[in-house]
Amino acid sequence: MTTATAFFHKFDRHADGKGLKGATTHYCPGCGHGLIHKYIAETIADFGIQDRAIAVSPVGCAVFLYYYMDMGNTQAAHGRAPAVAIGHKMANPNSIVISYQGDGDLASIGLAEIIHAAQLGLPISVIFVNNAIYGMTGGQMAPTTLVGQKSATCPAGRGLFEGLPMQVAEIMAQLSGTVFVERTALYDQKTRKRTRKAIEKAITLQMEGRGFGFVEVLSECPTHLKMDPMQAEAWVRDEMTKTFPLGVLKDDDRAPWFEMKPPEFDPERVAELVGATSVAPERYCTEFPEHLAPEDVSLKLAGAGGDGAQTAAMLVTNAAINEGFDATHIPSYGPESRGGTSYADVHVAKDEVLSPASPSPNILIAFNAPSLAKFGPTVHTGGTIIYDSSVISEVPEFATDVKVVPVPFTEIAQSLGKVLVKNVVALGALQEATHLLEEDSLLFAVRRSLESKCAMIPINEEAFRWGVKAVKEGVTHFE
Amino acid sequence: MPKVARPKPVLLPELCKGCGRCIEACPKQCISMGTEINQASGLIPVIIDADVCNGCGLCISACPEPYGLTAAGYELEDPKDLYGHRRPEQEGPVTIPDQRIPLPQCEPLVLKGTYASAIGAILAGCRHVFGYPITPSTEGAELMAKLLPQLHGAFLQAVSEVATVNHMYGCGGAGLPCMTFTSSPGFSLMLEGISYMIGAEVPTVFVNVMRGGPGLGNIGPEQADIKLVCRGLGHGNTHGIVLAPTTPQEMLDLTMEAFQLAFKYRNPVIIAADGYLGQITGRVNLPETMVKPGLPDWAVYGDEEHRHNLINSIYLSEPSLEKHNEHLNAKFSLMTTEEQRSKTYKAEGARILVLSCNTPARMAKGAVEKLRRQDVPVGLFQPVTLWPFPIDHLKTWLAPTSGTDPVTDILVVEASAGQLEDELRLALSHAGIQGVRLHHLRHMGGVLPQEPEVIEAVRNIHSNQPQEVTS
Ligand code: SF4
Ligand code: SF4
Ligand code: SF4
Repeated sequence: MTTATAFFHKFDRHADGKGLKGATTHYCPGCGHGLIHKYIAETIADFGIQDRAIAVSPVGCAVFLYYYMDMGNTQAAHGRAPAVAIGHKMANPNSIVISYQGDGDLASIGLAEIIHAAQLGLPISVIFVNNAIYGMTGGQMAPTTLVGQKSATCPAGRGLFEGLPMQVAEIMAQLSGTVFVERTALYDQKTRKRTRKAIEKAITLQMEGRGFGFVEVLSECPTHLKMDPMQAEAWVRDEMTKTFPLGVLKDDDRAPWFEMKPPEFDPERVAELVGATSVAPERYCTEFPEHLAPEDVSLKLAGAGGDGAQTAAMLVTNAAINEGFDATHIPSYGPESRGGTSYADVHVAKDEVLSPASPSPNILIAFNAPSLAKFGPTVHTGGTIIYDSSVISEVPEFATDVKVVPVPFTEIAQSLGKVLVKNVVALGALQEATHLLEEDSLLFAVRRSLESKCAMIPINEEAFRWGVKAVKEGVTHFE
Repeated sequence: MPKVARPKPVLLPELCKGCGRCIEACPKQCISMGTEINQASGLIPVIIDADVCNGCGLCISACPEPYGLTAAGYELEDPKDLYGHRRPEQEGPVTIPDQRIPLPQCEPLVLKGTYASAIGAILAGCRHVFGYPITPSTEGAELMAKLLPQLHGAFLQAVSEVATVNHMYGCGGAGLPCMTFTSSPGFSLMLEGISYMIGAEVPTVFVNVMRGGPGLGNIGPEQADIKLVCRGLGHGNTHGIVLAPTTPQEMLDLTMEAFQLAFKYRNPVIIAADGYLGQITGRVNLPETMVKPGLPDWAVYGDEEHRHNLINSIYLSEPSLEKHNEHLNAKFSLMTTEEQRSKTYKAEGARILVLSCNTPARMAKGAVEKLRRQDVPVGLFQPVTLWPFPIDHLKTWLAPTSGTDPVTDILVVEASAGQLEDELRLALSHAGIQGVRLHHLRHMGGVLPQEPEVIEAVRNIHSNQPQEVTS
């Protein structure tokens, strides 16, 4: 009878399969890795899932896991195998992903990745090989090195200065994403059988979409323990298990939940989702406002955070683009957007906005005194300044060819019962004072932006009309 | 009932490492340490006394070697005769090509740069996005988190940028288009992973919305990662195509193109944007088609066809790693000759070129327009690929074949301490071009060069240009 395994029949990736290397592992005699590989390979073959299986190799002695496993293989950066495994699982939810890591890889450099993966709880299977020492780099201290155990980097034996060994399975059991956590070993027939069973269970839980399975295997590294394999087995049995007791630490009964449907590529659906429409917006402008600037009108809207300068800027940009012009809006952001000044640079261009900043705008809308003082002097020759006369009483002197229009944005908005609409009052004023677009262009943009809050449309329309009226009639204060 | 004889274990002495783990496992004590060195392996295999053995098989499950101790022995057999069905090697996986699907005709959208890039990725067929929040790139991730589940894709917020890049390594290694949005400090953290991707030839797309540095710096717009993206993609001999968009429209177009290039070359592609470009809103036209991605033959997808594939960057022997590097470098050379991209504005007849990318290129474009109206012979040269630097395109302006006068001066306008200029200088040097005078206008720390400054700088250059002697 043949015990089926998912090992390659010939290890062509091990030194090109030459000589004995084609049929033996690269591990030292008595190393526990080979056994764990074997139990994984047998389980995968028993379940008949070689085609779906993907093994993620770590950095460490097991870096060459892909020499042996006849399945999809990915070799990961040091510590990152669980992150890579998650990438695979999400790419193909039907794949069975096994992340294989040693103690340095998982419990030192890769701590963030394993904790996050275990908390996230996507169904992958993690096999953690704990041999209490760094193998590949040559016997340095591992996070799981025992107290008093000597290593190349704790030659006097691990003490409090080095910190106490990390009990990883216990940590894993605490995290909400794990459904199964067991610590097993390889030192006798009974523990080997448990290891095989635990691997089987973790993979079963993944196949059933129940969650994240974690198996910590206490393993022998005779080479760096400086023992023969028999002594190493005894050491694991007698010493390691004191710090790392064997047993099932968690076995939750979680119903299958993991399901990901195949991604969708329906063009109609994509267009709809990104907000595209084939319905052309109505156009109200017949020509570009050349009376403001021949090719490109620049605006600055400035106020305090919460004045609505950005929303107003966005509405002007939308309206202009709906009219077939090019337009851009750059918000100030960051610290400024958290309560300080908030200003927006807007350009409306006949063909293409070249430079989108507004260092000397044709139009300034100022919602407060500091903005007026700061940006008023930068306004372009022949430009227009519109400011909130309800809150600005001291108006600096500006160049004589700049048109200055005071409009009580805030008072009007308050009288309408909603101070928030003062930016829409400002838009009405902007339109009447400059004839940048057409009234309906801006109103259309306002309505469209309120599509999901229809009840707000009438008050916004009224605010807009009041802004127009205030400029027309020269209203600077409003009771 | 006749007793079925259980087969006794077969020991292949040359495959036995003599560890002795089987000795303790045997309840009948029929295995003992050997005494003779095996000539083939140089090790001392154990000895089994088959007479005592009852065929319980416990020794087999204690043997760490796959074929040291088995029930059937080990002979090199035809794989198809083993362990049930296996796909014959010659029926290797076949690349499933991408499909182009027409999009409905749509009105222009009004989008901010990060959103435009996210939509570009969706149209390129990307349904898997990984990321860690960092200003000023986060809105791209936020939009993905909202849209992707509705397309049965997924946005996964990673525990860090380090995890992000490794999620991408897994997903990209599975052959699917995936991407991230990040900004300078986050991009620094991803570099190790990017080096692995280049080594293992995993295609992915990174949108780096560059911000002010070094260190925590600020969230203002800078271009101070140009050195990093062009010359520093992690350890080893690494390169990747770097695309520098200037407008929200280019954020969409270049993100779409980035996926094509990533899969064409099996290599990461970096989109280097600046903080301004991430936030700026503008008009964006959707393309005529979108992509339904196929699946490349090399993918480790987790199915029958792709079972033999491997994503890996280890080459243990020096000659084979050198060979791999030669292969990668041949790809880099191909990118250098095939993928240079640039745009110009009013460069025809220019004696001075303003060379600039990202948002500063827009300021420069505005300046060029104004200067041209005043008859200053200036044009804009905008590298769209920062790596490879579009030197072949620039060359045609420096030494025009027709009778026009060549460009004598280049003004590099950038938001960094000369990183773009260094790329230019390196490219000029490699191309053996001399004699063009270089000038610069630089800002740092989140301050962008503005149009009036560009105008002034060009004027200065123009007034110092030697006057043409006409006879
Ligand atoms: S160094 Fe230790 S862990 Fe590595 S192969 Fe040898 S015995 Fe195994
Ligand atoms: S099959 Fe059983 S009895 Fe025979 S050698 Fe192996 S362990 Fe001993
Ligand atoms: S366990 Fe395997 S490798 Fe070790 S001595 Fe026995 S047969 Fe040889």
